[in-house]
Amino acid sequence: MLILNQPTRSQISDLSEACGRYWELRGIAQEHTNEMQLELEHHLFQAAMDGKSPETVVGLNPAAFAEAWAREMHPQALRGGALLLPGLVYALSVICTTALVEPLLAHTSFFTLTLFTAFMLGGWGVAALLLPLAGFLAVRMRTRTKRSMLLTTVFVLGALVARLAGMRVNWSMTLLSWNWPLTFLLAVLAVGLASLECWRQASHERASSSRWGKLWRSVLTLAGNVVLFDLFLGVSSVIVFNVCALACRAL
Amino acid sequence: MEARLTQLLKGTLDMCLLATIAQRPCYGYEMVQRLAQQGLALVSEGSIYPLLSRLQQRGYLEGYLVPSTDGPPRKYYRLLPKGAEQLAEWQAEWGCFAQAVSQIVKGVPVDVDPQSAHPQPDLRPQ
Repeated sequence: MLILNQPTRSQISDLSEACGRYWELRGIAQEHTNEMQLELEHHLFQAAMDGKSPETVVGLNPAAFAEAWAREMHPQALRGGALLLPGLVYALSVICTTALVEPLLAHTSFFTLTLFTAFMLGGWGVAALLLPLAGFLAVRMRTRTKRSMLLTTVFVLGALVARLAGMRVNWSMTLLSWNWPLTFLLAVLAVGLASLECWRQASHERASSSRWGKLWRSVLTLAGNVVLFDLFLGVSSVIVFNVCALACRAL
Repeated sequence: MEARLTQLLKGTLDMCLLATIAQRPCYGYEMVQRLAQQGLALVSEGSIYPLLSRLQQRGYLEGYLVPSTDGPPRKYYRLLPKGAEQLAEWQAEWGCFAQAVSQIVKGVPVDVDPQSAHPQPDLRPQ
């Protein structure tokens, strides 16, 4: 029996995470998804300890394997849409907090949603939803670095092609603008949806004590992520705008 | 040769899994090992899981988690009465099928109705 090194461990966890996300998107109930992922991860670990590669478990096409298993679980497409709720909660929470903070800093009474902010929000949302699926590449690309490099290259090439095709984007273009009352209304909606999402996550727990623990963890995770994302958005906006301004001056 | 064996195994894997679990409850990796010990090496070991889910959905099996000393809990499978009935049916079916195929492959002569028999061509030199 072998002792597994870190790249093999991350290869296995990425692969099982990709399958788990795929099953979630296909609309398999959360409790089944968790159990299936656990079972697969366990098998992959045991196989690796016996010196077998992940291909011997999931074949050369892990997505086909995940699909074959999903079909037997009678997925419901509507259940896959449940993943949109956390995305909506995050998007609304970030927009609300930004809309509360930005007018204070800029000494204005209204908030403007720029194309850059919308792009960042949408881009991160899609990335958070779909990036785990890159774990399917783990069979062919063993290290996480190689997979990240491939995805970055695809993104950069896509941007370059768009640029060469003559696409010009005005990132500071205003998409929407609103005053305080609407911000508060959105904040109330965000809190309501966030409560619903945290309750949904906690409802999977069977014991009452662990349900409360899960609820608190969900609330804290959500709040922490929103604060971190706000900070990241603020800092990246400043950096990107300054870099662009410098580049314009230099040209 | 390998592709042919895979095709043969595809149609019988669910029965083999049911028969393996009938001996004693076991988890996925253990099933693969037991099948391999009996001479059935799977090309893709994970292919047992969709089948196990199907058998479970049909009420032939039951899955349950057992805490493990070396990591997260393992999912074991045990046979249900409906599964035992189905296995008995499949075993009888397989017995007839395997016997028929074996006779054909070995070229064992069978009694044929002389009226319906196809006339044999005369292969003697003229």
